[in-house]
Amino acid sequence: MRGAWRVFELSLGEMLWSRRTVFLAIVVGSPVLVAAVIRIVDSMGVTPFRLNGQRLDYTAIFGVMIWLLFLRFIVPVLGVFYGTSLIADEVEDKTITYLFTRPIRRGAVLVGKYLAYLVCTTLVVLPGVMLVYFLIVPFQQIGGSFTMLLTDLGLLALGLAAYGGLFALIGAVMKRPLIVGLVFAFGWEQFALVMPGYMRRFTLMYYVQSLVPHAMPAEGVTSLLQAFFTSTPSALTCLVSLAVAIAVSLTLAGKAVERREYVLDQ
Amino acid sequence: MASLFQYRWFQILLLVSFGPFVVRAVQFYFASTNAQVAEFLAATPDTFREFLSQQGLFVFLVVIMQSGLIADDRRTNALQLYLSKPLTRVEYVLGKLVPPLAFVLGVTLVPALVLLILQIVFAGSVTFLRANLFLLPAITLYSLIQALLSACAILALSSLSKSRRFVAVMYAGIVFFTAAMYQVLRAITGSRKWAVISPGEMLDVIANGIFRSRVEPAVPVYVAIVVVLVIVGVALVILERRIRAVEVVA
Amino acid sequence: MISTEHLSKWYGQVSGLNDVTVKVPPGITGLLGPNGAGKSTFMKLVTGQLKPSKGTIEILGEPIWGNPALYHRIGFCPEQDAFYERMTGLGWVTALVALNGLEPAEAEAAARRALEAVDLLDAAEKKIGAYSKGMRQRVKMAQALAHEPDVLILDEPLSGMDPLMRRRTIRLIREWGRSGKSVLVSSHILHEIESMTSNILLINNGRILAEGNVHQIRELIDTHPHSVFIRAEDPKALARALLVEDGVISMRFEPGAVSVETARPDAFYARLTEMAASGEAGVIDEVTSPDDNLQAVFKYLVKQ
Repeated sequence: MRGAWRVFELSLGEMLWSRRTVFLAIVVGSPVLVAAVIRIVDSMGVTPFRLNGQRLDYTAIFGVMIWLLFLRFIVPVLGVFYGTSLIADEVEDKTITYLFTRPIRRGAVLVGKYLAYLVCTTLVVLPGVMLVYFLIVPFQQIGGSFTMLLTDLGLLALGLAAYGGLFALIGAVMKRPLIVGLVFAFGWEQFALVMPGYMRRFTLMYYVQSLVPHAMPAEGVTSLLQAFFTSTPSALTCLVSLAVAIAVSLTLAGKAVERREYVLDQ
Repeated sequence: MASLFQYRWFQILLLVSFGPFVVRAVQFYFASTNAQVAEFLAATPDTFREFLSQQGLFVFLVVIMQSGLIADDRRTNALQLYLSKPLTRVEYVLGKLVPPLAFVLGVTLVPALVLLILQIVFAGSVTFLRANLFLLPAITLYSLIQALLSACAILALSSLSKSRRFVAVMYAGIVFFTAAMYQVLRAITGSRKWAVISPGEMLDVIANGIFRSRVEPAVPVYVAIVVVLVIVGVALVILERRIRAVEVVA
Repeated sequence: MISTEHLSKWYGQVSGLNDVTVKVPPGITGLLGPNGAGKSTFMKLVTGQLKPSKGTIEILGEPIWGNPALYHRIGFCPEQDAFYERMTGLGWVTALVALNGLEPAEAEAAARRALEAVDLLDAAEKKIGAYSKGMRQRVKMAQALAHEPDVLILDEPLSGMDPLMRRRTIRLIREWGRSGKSVLVSSHILHEIESMTSNILLINNGRILAEGNVHQIRELIDTHPHSVFIRAEDPKALARALLVEDGVISMRFEPGAVSVETARPDAFYARLTEMAASGEAGVIDEVTSPDDNLQAVFKYLVKQ
């Protein structure tokens, strides 16, 4: 673990200042911008926002952004983009040699980089969520919905951990992990979630979205189908399932990295 | 193009991209052989419009696999080598545009036209085609617009980085992010006019217009065309700035 | 130090290394071969980055693949020019040596010592992205020796260096050898290896052509005629005297000199010494052998 911690310390700085994280900051900054515009428009006394023709309250707007932007897009996308490239980036940059010729197990290197990914993404995403919350939700409503914010922060962090772990495994095992990851996150998961029966249990989103305290917005056929087939597992089931998924993914990813040879481009 | 064809995964992708084609072909077969189901399975212009829409996933995957078109040249300093030959920048860019254009048309235009031919062959008459003569130019035009937009976008992004993986990340990020933002803004404001921020939605509007679909467009077709033209224009400006024989380092 | 037994490595259908059995002794050993000979493959197998397809490889008596503990005793300077460009030289070396288990203060002290050893302490606080090619090579070597390993593996360490820096680095490598470290240096530049060590491994097409002292290797090549260039006052008289000697294969006259090919170099040199001492063939000004160096050995063996 000490080795993993040392790799974490080395990787965190590199990750925080990488182009990828700048791109991430722009992506997370957009909902903050939207939230700021909403606050400005609202303060100008313009017609309040509506959801499906009904007048919205601001907590619901925040819920919409959590569902549609953070949960369904930002969390899986970050998991794919960072998770699949934990080792691949080092291989592409040819710096993997320095990490793999140290007295640290390769699995520990992967764990260290995974921890750096987790800290980096939560450091960017969670403050973004908090900013959106404080911009959108009026001051007088904060007290009543603050626990909801804390739940959102927790489940987003858990979602980042789960997706990161799964895509770390895909990145360790596959040659084209980005494509596979995108197909999984935006193909398989979207499809499986609207299917009846056990299929949706083979997604991570099933467990993550079951923890969301906000109502799912009905913005299309997919959401309607998901709502129709929803049988929400208990919070404990979700937490345990996600924890097991993270542990299993990282263990298998570590084993894969230990066995794999990395031939650098000449 | 040749190097991409060597990848087994790419070959599998191209093969799988013909899956919806096979399904539609079977549909036309049963429509022409079984009178009971003909009413439900018969070809309509919307069939071809939906088919092209379904191919959107394969268009995305085929395009994203070409993220290294210019990025690889920049990483290996081959760009300077190319442009030191009797090769203009325009020729270089046009040459680089060919693979994504070809592959996108290969998964859109080609199967759609073959599907149209199959419909005629199975039906044993050209009645459907005569009644919908606009289909041929519609399929061609929409496929070309989709191919041009995707190709210009990936090429422009590829010229911004030396890492093909980062380019792929940027392309996927932009595609999914704009779609997600549109969903959010539409949910919050109730207005579909926010579709202008999503290139995917603009392509849908253009498709509905070209195929004379009765679906109410989110924005007028001319707005969608302007948005697509702006994206292509921005891509070309980026390419003009980035494709240089000499890189000035301050 | 390093021993391999029927070591082979294939990349799909392509053979990188083929049935290599060697024992690399302590001290400085040069791994010499042209581009594509298998040097880098051998280096990667030695440093545990690749797993042998067949055979075994042991470093300091232990297998290296999947044995990270061994890296406490190994320092590797890779060929590729790759760094965390954003970091300073000191920061980078410190971070890497900390991965060897040193505490932060210890790691920084070790990094400073290593940077001083490669003459880079002055530029330690600069970002690696601003380093020249030679400085980048040196900071790479610093990270390899910062944790004071017993074995140093250097893959093309002089690549991209100017002549002055080359000389200093060669001197450094010789110092490390004298200080008790075992060093394996790879290069395709013959005189570089020659200036560092006389103990070499010759590799080509994935096979070891020869191993040992360059002079011993030369002696083994007894079927290869040995060329000797003799500058003399009277080349013709010298040639007449040498013609009757056993083992002389051919002669060629050059202005003021004669070039002799002999199959028995030791006997030939002994006779030449006698002739020079007695003056029987006139004054002999200069005797050189273009063959008694790595270039000739290598060229000959590679052609086999």
